Amino acid sequence: MKPDADTANRSLESLIMGAAQGDHACFAQVYQRTHTHLFGVAVRILGQGQAAEDVLQEAYVSIWKSAAGYRNEVGGQTIQAMTWLIAIVRNKALDALRARARRRESELPASGDIDEDDVQALGNPAPSAMQLLEQASQALHIEGCMNALDGSYRQSLALAYYQGLSHTEVAAQMGAPLGSVKAWIRRGLEKLKTCLAAQGVAA
Amino acid sequence: MRYTQPDLLDHLASSYVLGTLTGGARRRFDRLQRDRADVRGLVMQWENRLGQLAMSVPVQQPSPQVWKAIAARTQPPMAVPSGGWLGWLKPAGFGFGGLAAGVIAASLLFATAPGIFMTSDQVAMRSGEKLPQSYVGLLTDAQGNGKLLVSSLRHGKTMSIKVIGPITPPAVGRLVLWAVPTDGPAFALGPVPTSGSAVSLLPDTSEKLLQKVSKLVVTLETSAAPAGPTGIVVFSGNCAKLW
Repeated sequence: MKPDADTANRSLESLIMGAAQGDHACFAQVYQRTHTHLFGVAVRILGQGQAAEDVLQEAYVSIWKSAAGYRNEVGGQTIQAMTWLIAIVRNKALDALRARARRRESELPASGDIDEDDVQALGNPAPSAMQLLEQASQALHIEGCMNALDGSYRQSLALAYYQGLSHTEVAAQMGAPLGSVKAWIRRGLEKLKTCLAAQGVAA
Repeated sequence: MRYTQPDLLDHLASSYVLGTLTGGARRRFDRLQRDRADVRGLVMQWENRLGQLAMSVPVQQPSPQVWKAIAARTQPPMAVPSGGWLGWLKPAGFGFGGLAAGVIAASLLFATAPGIFMTSDQVAMRSGEKLPQSYVGLLTDAQGNGKLLVSSLRHGKTMSIKVIGPITPPAVGRLVLWAVPTDGPAFALGPVPTSGSAVSLLPDTSEKLLQKVSKLVVTLETSAAPAGPTGIVVFSGNCAKLW
């Protein structure tokens, strides 16, 4: 998959628009530029393994089919192509994660029957969700603003975002009451919105 | 539940994008998004915000098989099987027969189960054999060349602006779309993209805002938030009621 001179010089946004018109070379270039990042997002939520690759495949097929739905501006706000792609992958990964959780509820594994995805996910040592949130905050220059929030607020937001955990799962992992976690995450989202707006990013 | 409170909708949109809105609530919100452009706008804004956080996620290399599988599902077929009773469907190297068969199959499915492809609103419009009640405008330059197609559902709170002719991005300032009522001062409807399309969120329904608007203009503005059109008019057109 080698890009031609035309596609290699085009912006990601322009390539998605090309894909929307059925240009497969544009679509291939979108994959070439974004797949390692998007696979990283899927792996964060699902762990290394077939499930993450399946989600990546489904996500790109969906991107190909729905490229015409991409809007580069909504309400006067620029919608970055990469964040649109990330949203598609996250949604697919969250669906897969919830489906996996439902399967576990209905099919209690026999003793010793271990999910391969779990093993690989557990074997993935780092970085933690909190570390990723801190790195992102630094890169976005909103670290000071976000640090005004209590650590519990930031940790609950990080666990929900980077690991795709539900409110209940975040509460279990943090050993905190469910009601508190819901309030922390809501407050964390509001704070993130304020911090990004103050920085002029994704206001 | 009535989804009319902006704060509630914003909270639901943020929870939806974060992934903490689950189960039946998530499915209901999915349906709400399909039917309401303003809700889709809120979701996109939250995708934009939370997407920033993903930038710190380490990249990972998937197996090369992933692209092969994706290409197999998305690339138009190149090879043509010879012989066989379906051979007529694919004339050599062109695939017209396959395309025609696909169109026929899709048309049949579309006719028998339009809900698969369209929202209930769209199905209703289709069965009524008319376009949805909307405010529309076709804006042209001084030479009459079509530049922008503006549309908004009569009771909707969003406005779509689609570029239909080449627009040179201004070196200084930005293009702003204005509504010009017959009996009042012009008011801004939103920024104008120079390529592709954009959706502007309106402060009220189109019916309330555009009922007495007969003309739309685009001006080149240099100030960040002009109270009224002060720059030169670059495009203009009539605002029409589509019902």
